[in-house]
Amino acid sequence: MKVRVKSFAILRQFLPRETEVEIRDGSSVRDLLDLLVKQAPPLANELLNEKGELKDFVNILRNGRNIHFISGLDTPLSEGDLVALFPPAGGG
Amino acid sequence: MTMLSLVERERYLRQIPLLGETGQERLRDAAVLVAGAGGLGSVCAQMCACAGFGKIRIVDNDVVERHNLNRQVLYAARDHGLFKVDVAARRLRENNPWLSVEPVRETITRESIGGLVCGIDVIIDGMDNYDARYILDDAAFGEDLPFIHGAVNGFYGQVSSIIPGETPCLHCIVPHPPPPGDVPILGVTVGTIGSIQVAEAIKLVTGLGKPMAGRMLLWDGLMGEAEVIPVARDPSCTRCNGRGVAP
Ligand SMILES: [Zn+2]
Repeated sequence: MKVRVKSFAILRQFLPRETEVEIRDGSSVRDLLDLLVKQAPPLANELLNEKGELKDFVNILRNGRNIHFISGLDTPLSEGDLVALFPPAGGG
Repeated sequence: MTMLSLVERERYLRQIPLLGETGQERLRDAAVLVAGAGGLGSVCAQMCACAGFGKIRIVDNDVVERHNLNRQVLYAARDHGLFKVDVAARRLRENNPWLSVEPVRETITRESIGGLVCGIDVIIDGMDNYDARYILDDAAFGEDLPFIHGAVNGFYGQVSSIIPGETPCLHCIVPHPPPPGDVPILGVTVGTIGSIQVAEAIKLVTGLGKPMAGRMLLWDGLMGEAEVIPVARDPSCTRCNGRGVAP
């Protein structure tokens, strides 16, 4: 299946603004991140902590809904889903 | 609501065609809380003063330091060591003699927030940390006040208008804040984001346009890209639960 991925801020240095990713049916957000990190290894520093877990402040929206409020990294993906990745800004 | 004077009409000559005299009067009758007098706070307060908001309460407990001057446009080199809100009040009054400025040398805490939002119509986020932003967000929902969130990091920035009863709260939009600490910031980024925040405040007070409600602007000055993404409520959120937009 194909999903669309949008990236913002620092992640934009390693990913296109919007890209279509071919991924096997039944994949989760975790599978998608694994695939993205394989394609662009420096992404790991931005997305994952030392234990390889997602940095919790990186917002991941599936079709506009934060995966924190769905099933986290286990959130399932379907054909045509739009996944947006953005680390929020904090300064003022 | 009293009419604008002749001198006020002259001052706002170039924007009354946009806002109407009624819109301009609404701004004059509105009080904003500018929470923070740093990078975003400087720009927001300045833009509010220029636009003709009647009252600005500006809150910050810091003094001006040399490394503020790359982005905190209200301050000059000679202001080193002075309280930011005192300098800010002087500069804002110089810009707009009709403005009532209330400088408050305080830190935003759960204890101080009640007094800070008293009599306020719009809260503008000029904070540099999420602990304080969440306090403002809670006060906005408690007092039913719009809260215009803005944050920056380097060339990047974000803005969203949080409106109790209509939109998700900040806890829903940013459930896990980035790690605390100083981030690199450019004056141009706070100029961009702060200006957009005040545009939101002007729209909310005058009723013009469509606020960035339930949406967040993500600005990337490095790539020259802007995107507006939808933001949705956590169905289990107890702050905006039942008052936020339907998921
Ligand atoms: Zn909420």
